[in-house]
Amino acid sequence: MSCDKTCEQHNGRRTFCRACIGAMTAASAAMVAYPVASFVTSQPSRIGEGKPLEIPLDQLVQGQARYEAYRGLQVIILATADGPHVFSASCPHLGCAVNWVSSDAQFHCPCHGAVFGSDGGVVSGPVNEPLKPIPFEVKDGKIIISV
Amino acid sequence: MRIVKTIFGWFDRRYNLTPLIEKNVTKKRVPKTLGWAACFGGLSLLIFLVQVFTGVLLLMYYKPDPANAWDSVTFIKSNVSMGWLVQRIHTVSANLMIVMVLMHMARIAYYKVYRSPRELHWVSGVVLLMLTLILAFTGYLLPWTQLSYWGAKVGTEIPSAIPVIGEDIVRWVRRGEAISGETLGFFFALHIWIIPATISAFMAMHFAMIRRTGISRPL
Ligand code: HEM
Ligand code: FES
Repeated sequence: MSCDKTCEQHNGRRTFCRACIGAMTAASAAMVAYPVASFVTSQPSRIGEGKPLEIPLDQLVQGQARYEAYRGLQVIILATADGPHVFSASCPHLGCAVNWVSSDAQFHCPCHGAVFGSDGGVVSGPVNEPLKPIPFEVKDGKIIISV
Repeated sequence: MRIVKTIFGWFDRRYNLTPLIEKNVTKKRVPKTLGWAACFGGLSLLIFLVQVFTGVLLLMYYKPDPANAWDSVTFIKSNVSMGWLVQRIHTVSANLMIVMVLMHMARIAYYKVYRSPRELHWVSGVVLLMLTLILAFTGYLLPWTQLSYWGAKVGTEIPSAIPVIGEDIVRWVRRGEAISGETLGFFFALHIWIIPATISAFMAMHFAMIRRTGISRPL
């Protein structure tokens, strides 16, 4: 079959439209494939690995709590007469962040009123678990948290 | 393109797919008067599929217990690469799905399509609406935020208005007196498996019925 002038024009247009649709399809596919591939292959537990939290002891004030962010957790470093304590700030009841009330030497949870002592133990409230202690070591005058 | 054709050709020669595809997709005739409002049912389905897909992705990192739920969601949003995107799509689409289902329902109501012979399309549709709402409600508890907690508390209180058995239903839904880790586990099971499986079954019925009666022919 021979192709006259209009038919050729027609074909050109058709090829152009096809190419455009193809390119848009490929772009859309890539826009889905890239995030999905990077989500699935992400190894997020490695993020921040090898970066311990270090707090110089001389920055701590006795009877005061210091709040620090550590690997997505909020941790409390509490300086007491018998040395520092480190806890997760997350209330073991439903996970609100507990506040240190230095006048009572207690932690108060703002959500449902749990109270914890300076050793993290339960004083009162809707919980039966103490504040979660975070392991740490003291080296060169610094508190080092690396778990 | 050629490779797609070759692969398709291989299957087509064996299973004779072309007539099937022509009959059901490419040459399927729909009434000319069907307007844009007829797309909302399909959009509801599309968003449901998006939810299944992004939901499965989120499951790779989500941890359904009170100690870890919130942390794991924060982790997805801030540490997992593209996690913020997947999480946001899932949340936004949950809302969009409800909007689409309601728009779809509004079209059916406006054109009075629910009349004979399509009564059961409507009935299965109402079940789908309920399931969509339960899906959204159970998903709302999973990030274990203050909003989730109080949302679930208020929401699960609703059945207490039912006389006699109301309080028992509330206890059953909450898996105890109060919202707790048990509630979270139960809602998690509902959200990721029980409701999606049920909704898929009802969608299959919904679509089968629409195929049987054919879509309505607006004037
Ligand atoms: C998850 C939710 C739903 C999905 C995925 C869905 C999907 C669909 C689809 C794809 C159609 C084909 C025509 C169209 O899109 O308009 C349809 C038709 C229909 N739907 Fe739904 N639907 C859902 C919820 C509902 C609800 C809540 C109702 C009403 C209470 C309903 C009642 C109907 C009826 C009566 C038809 C027949 C329409 C006709 O023949 O013109 N559906 N549905
Ligand atoms: S979250 Fe702390 S008392 Fe409930």
